[in-house]
Amino acid sequence: MSRGRMLAYPAIAWLLFFFLAPLVIVLFMSFLQRGTYGQIIYQFTVDNYIRFFEPLYLQILGDTLFMALLTTIICFLLGYPIAYQIARLQRNWQTLMLLLVMVPFWINFLIRSYAWVIILRSQGMVNTFLLDLGLIEQPLNLLYNFGAVLLGMVYGHLPFMILPIYVSLEQLDRRMIEAAYDLGATPIKTFFYVTLPQTLPGIIAGSILVFVSSLGMFVIPDIMGGAKSALIGNLIQNQFLSARDWPFGSALSIMLAILSLILIFLYYKALQAQQGKEDSR
Amino acid sequence: MFQGKQSKMVALVLMAFFALSILTGCAGGDSSSRQVLNIYSWADNFCEDVIADFEQKYDVRVNYDIFASNEELLAKIQAGGAQYDLIQPSDYMVATMIKLDLLEEINKENIPNLNNMVTTFQRPSYDPEDKYSIVYTWGVTGIAYNPKYVTDEINSWQDLWNPAYAGRVVLLNDSREVIGMALKKNGYSNSTISETEIQEAVEELKTLVPNVLAFDTDTIKQKFIAEEAWIGTVWSGDAAFIYEENPDLEFVVPKEGSTIWADTFAIPKGAKNKELAEKFINFILEPEVSVQNYEYIGYSNPNKQAHPLHSEEYLSNPMIFLSDEEMKNTEWLEDVGDVLTVYDRFWTELKVGR
Repeated sequence: MSRGRMLAYPAIAWLLFFFLAPLVIVLFMSFLQRGTYGQIIYQFTVDNYIRFFEPLYLQILGDTLFMALLTTIICFLLGYPIAYQIARLQRNWQTLMLLLVMVPFWINFLIRSYAWVIILRSQGMVNTFLLDLGLIEQPLNLLYNFGAVLLGMVYGHLPFMILPIYVSLEQLDRRMIEAAYDLGATPIKTFFYVTLPQTLPGIIAGSILVFVSSLGMFVIPDIMGGAKSALIGNLIQNQFLSARDWPFGSALSIMLAILSLILIFLYYKALQAQQGKEDSR
Repeated sequence: MFQGKQSKMVALVLMAFFALSILTGCAGGDSSSRQVLNIYSWADNFCEDVIADFEQKYDVRVNYDIFASNEELLAKIQAGGAQYDLIQPSDYMVATMIKLDLLEEINKENIPNLNNMVTTFQRPSYDPEDKYSIVYTWGVTGIAYNPKYVTDEINSWQDLWNPAYAGRVVLLNDSREVIGMALKKNGYSNSTISETEIQEAVEELKTLVPNVLAFDTDTIKQKFIAEEAWIGTVWSGDAAFIYEENPDLEFVVPKEGSTIWADTFAIPKGAKNKELAEKFINFILEPEVSVQNYEYIGYSNPNKQAHPLHSEEYLSNPMIFLSDEEMKNTEWLEDVGDVLTVYDRFWTELKVGR
């Protein structure tokens, strides 16, 4: 036991240094003030947090939550059938398919976003193809709008949804499905009463991963949305660059982190409730 | 928190996520005894052959790191910039760095070639005593447009509001540049600290947003080359770059005047090789060297001794050299201090559409 604990020390030290230390610095900075030339003044204030509750910034938070929620729902609707099909394949095909889901991670996300621009822009692949076929006469405006941002968000986060759902489908107790069929349930009923509840932990894990990482996104609105809208990630980025207001940017980051923690806590509670239900069966 | 196998999968996904971020950035040290000049600058800001010639001539090594914005430069210098000997802040950042006491005075006796410089940039407002910076290159923000699609005469910022260009206008993704443009259009200073003037400008910009294809600084060139954008606010140097790739481009400085900017040479406080940095500046100001360097980077050369040596093509390019008339009508973006947060707030409002 004690030797096992020894092995954990380097990891704990790593976490303390690279995770906790920056977080403490950000927390500390969020209570400081911006100097006239963007320097940091070491004087305590809670103004940065009060400023967060101005209607302008609350609206950005609302827009961000809406975008993250929509991304999560679409990722679920697309990701579940994909995970389901992968889980039904033969073993070696499954490995290949999972690999294909992971492959995009090997290429930098920024580069993949620019690839979408090349595909969708007015002289891009899609428009050129449709124009050549004579289906359209003017190039379609596929980029720099809400739909393009949503597409980019869903594209970027889909693997985070597929992988956890796949794992829970893998663990599915198939005897229960057989039992449901034996008792005369239709495939649809079996899915909704047996498969879906059993894969709920995977769905929730995937949703949390997608939702939380959507909250902090700033690359997609800038590149695919033409920077015409602002999510909270863009707002934070601006504070650290053009506005040179690091304390306010830190306060925004802390609020975002707190929001994420609350969501993870709710997930934990939901999971416990789910397990409680299963145990009492 | 996550159960069994599931936690493994989550860990795997997160690892894939973070692995990318680890594989970036590690500066190499130099073990040889040669002196090293550490330059911190914009990407592609020098002709590589010129740097190689400098290394050979003085038997030194040049280490060239790049930043993508003035704010990134400032953050790094504030965190301890002594590792660099020569930096290239833009005009307003020079002013900020002087106020924050981050710059070393340049010893002009070590740079005799300063006599080659044009007088236009002496005692600029961002460095009123001419002590801390030397102009490297400059340009203005004007309107670039593609004459294939934009057939009307363009001479005013107001032309961007023309409904004929709906969805085809590109603006720089920069609060000071864009709000500054609207301020100039209304006849105010681009660096006003009056909140009502800023508000008036932003209210007008809100009516421009429906015309806007995108806000973009980094890839605005590609938008013009691919003809996604027809018209927009473009830096003169970028316009010259676009013109090389797609000659369907005109560039005008609107009659209301515009914003001028400059990239400079400066030396951060505590630089280890200050004299070598001054040697490098002097080297770049050699007429022959500067011709090679500036024709390569495609920006304006402030070296008057070099002008007779430049190619006709370079000298006659209106995106590289502006007429005196146009130059007279330009204004620097000045550091607005605390009011910067007002600009940022209105900028956020513009993006959110409130």
